[in-house]
Amino acid sequence: MKQNLLYVLVLLALLISACGDGKPTEVPANTEAPQPTEAPVSAGGDAVLRVGWSGKPDTLNPAYAFLGESYTIFHLIYNTLTTQAIDGSYVGSLAKEWSVSEDGLTWTYHLKEGVKWHNGEPLTADQVAWAINAIMKDPEGWATLSSYTAGFTEVTAPDATTVVIVTEYPIGNMDYRASYLYAFYRPDFEGFTTAEDLQNFANDNPMGTGPFKFRTFDKDTGVVILDANRDYVDGAPKIDGIIFQTYDNADAMVQALKVGEVDVLTSVPASAYETVKGFENVETTAAPNYYFYELIINSVDPNNDPAPTGNPALADPAVRLAMAHSINKQDFVDIVFQGLAQPATTIIGPAMGGGFWHNPNIKDIPFDTAEANHVLDEAGYVLGSDGVRTKGELRLEFRLQFPTTESVYARMADMMVGWFQQAGMKLNAEAIDEDSLVAGTTGVGDYDLIIWSWWPDPDPDFILSVLITDQFVEGGWSDSGYHNPEYDQLYLDQQQLVDKTERQKTIWKMQELVFNDRPYITLVHWDMLQAYRSDRFTGFIVSLRGIEGAESLLNVEPVK
Amino acid sequence: MNRRDYLLRKLGMSLVTILVVFVINFMLFRVLPGDPVRSVIGRNVRISPEVQQALREQFGLDKSVFPDQLFDTFGQWARGNLGYSWSLRRPVSEVLMSKLWNTVLLIGLGQILAIIFGVFLGLLAGWKRKTPVDVAALTFSLVAWAIPTFWLGIILLAVGSTWFGLPTAGIVSPENTGKPLHTVLPDLTRHLFLPTLTLTILYLGEYMLIMRSSILEVLSEDYILTAKAKGLSNWQVLWRHALRNAMLPIVTLIALNLGFTVSGAIYIETVFSYDGLGKLFQTALIKQDYPLLQGAFILLAVSVIIANMAADLLYVVLDPRVKES
Repeated sequence: MKQNLLYVLVLLALLISACGDGKPTEVPANTEAPQPTEAPVSAGGDAVLRVGWSGKPDTLNPAYAFLGESYTIFHLIYNTLTTQAIDGSYVGSLAKEWSVSEDGLTWTYHLKEGVKWHNGEPLTADQVAWAINAIMKDPEGWATLSSYTAGFTEVTAPDATTVVIVTEYPIGNMDYRASYLYAFYRPDFEGFTTAEDLQNFANDNPMGTGPFKFRTFDKDTGVVILDANRDYVDGAPKIDGIIFQTYDNADAMVQALKVGEVDVLTSVPASAYETVKGFENVETTAAPNYYFYELIINSVDPNNDPAPTGNPALADPAVRLAMAHSINKQDFVDIVFQGLAQPATTIIGPAMGGGFWHNPNIKDIPFDTAEANHVLDEAGYVLGSDGVRTKGELRLEFRLQFPTTESVYARMADMMVGWFQQAGMKLNAEAIDEDSLVAGTTGVGDYDLIIWSWWPDPDPDFILSVLITDQFVEGGWSDSGYHNPEYDQLYLDQQQLVDKTERQKTIWKMQELVFNDRPYITLVHWDMLQAYRSDRFTGFIVSLRGIEGAESLLNVEPVK
Repeated sequence: MNRRDYLLRKLGMSLVTILVVFVINFMLFRVLPGDPVRSVIGRNVRISPEVQQALREQFGLDKSVFPDQLFDTFGQWARGNLGYSWSLRRPVSEVLMSKLWNTVLLIGLGQILAIIFGVFLGLLAGWKRKTPVDVAALTFSLVAWAIPTFWLGIILLAVGSTWFGLPTAGIVSPENTGKPLHTVLPDLTRHLFLPTLTLTILYLGEYMLIMRSSILEVLSEDYILTAKAKGLSNWQVLWRHALRNAMLPIVTLIALNLGFTVSGAIYIETVFSYDGLGKLFQTALIKQDYPLLQGAFILLAVSVIIANMAADLLYVVLDPRVKES
């Protein structure tokens, strides 16, 4: 008992002493000296950028990384053949220049000279070719990257600075695909015999050619520490290193920025944005994004097995039009998102690829309750005494489901219930966990209406694929059950159009189809909100790649 | 019944309880709706149906729940293998151990401080009943007990980081991550201060209130009057005669609370981004990570059962009535 008491008192004394000054305390001299192989801890210096975020990498193995935070780290450690520039266009990263053959089947990349691995070895073209081949030949093992090599037949390195990719058919978005093909270090990734072995590999010490060298990743806390690569081919970073720290609590994260414990927040909660704006020595950035929230309308083929349970009235274009007239997107922006969002018209937002893929000719259906009522009157839906319209067997009463993951869903659902009621449509709103939503939608169609969101890739291909008929299978992406042969054909066409303008035309047409058929009514694009300490660092480049993107971090320097 | 039989019986009962808990939990998590593979990869991730199927096979999810999955799991357990966490892709025992000491350190420290201050305050309040000291201590304890965990944590975090420069997250600074904790003691202490303070305040109320009512009851006993009549000083009466008897309910409470120590403190861990078991359990539940959940529940069940046994044993020592029976 006495011993315990003593122990407690000692700890107590320690705690009280901890409450002294705010400066980082030094490790006492009698503790273990750092290992000789360990680099000196520069992390306490001024030129180390501290980034606070709410997630953490799930793994550093690119074969099996799902979370965006992992890819942020990959883009700092590894290089790819091409990379997306701030304006949405693609520029060379490892590649100095590249070209495609007349028939669109052979891509030739000439690599920059003087590229070195982080251990000092020079990079050769056959190492790059080996990495792309590894992904191409083992799509099961390289689950997360294999879609980028779909349609590749051969990757070779005819000389030390040339990589040649031969494809089965012309590929319309090759530059985008090449921006995800990491040149990872061959000795790290060879020798795995099964997909499982490869995926269980932690890649705890990744080596690449990128602007930052890996130092530490702690799986439990999510801390990642990177050091500047002084030999980087495009010029060394102006900062000494980066520390990524995970916060489980948004308020604590915001507080950490306020007191200067972190220098950058990769995502500021919308509710805290105004507060953060008012902080001393803190700059905030708001960039419109192409991520969107949408209303999914059950469009599943009635002959589907199992049969969809959606209200048959949803098949009536007049009902869909009346719904579109009953949604006030501007109110969503102003009330739910505090102005930090934009009304969305199509599935491809103006912020994607610098606006090149967004169809600007589509004029949104205005919020107009009178018009909604008019459309439904014309279509023969009669208002009943209970305030709900009916037409024969059809009754305009719908389930409105939304995921429990974010509070904005509930607020949007709440507002929609009121608007729809004014047009004689009754919504029964219900929050559901996301797994059950997945189980009830894809391949099944057990719902009427759902509010949900998508985070599309920087290239339109992925979000377009979400609406093709073939994706309405278990494990697929289609939740709406949209089935339009014209759309499906256009999707295949755009994949193979190497001419950008031609591809743009096709993609514009696809947006039109979706807009008019309304399997989705896109609601809002929300802004990407970030913040940094302007008294410590300067030179951040604001773009959809984030101020923590490689090009931004290469430009960042400490304030003198 | 002699003491050895008593102990063996307790041990046997505990093992049976653990077994029952395990079977119930095995079945419970498998009747939940949703597909673990989908929840591991999330919605906004590109992965083909073939690969998803391969994952299901790899994790044994394509087999029937009973008997295949049940016996597989029992077999693994018999070999001392807690299984492999699907979502973290690491052995469950490794994951649990990596968080266990963090949690024991934080919650244990908070509990010990709360016990010391709570018992002391309760004693003081009971002894000085109906004086301003009692009213103040009672008010403080009731408020402390009623405050929402999350709210108190945030307030202390804001105050502590703004005025005292205390850190806002983690168990050590990022640059000290992965180093043995004893080599970074000052840093560790700075990080532990706010979460420990929050926990202490939150737990303190309960101990204080129970101690106060317990001491009040004891002080009205005849033997206290006798002790006073013998001419003993206040201190002697309190220390020798009142405290030991009044400690019985507190011992029960301590044993129960310590048993739940390993369940962590989800709110505190979330507010202070503290890498502990509570948050791990929450993540495991959201991700439907059955092996991790089973491991977690076994750990929890074992701890609670051991703590209860400890309480039983302590009673034998502390309470003569139990000893005799």
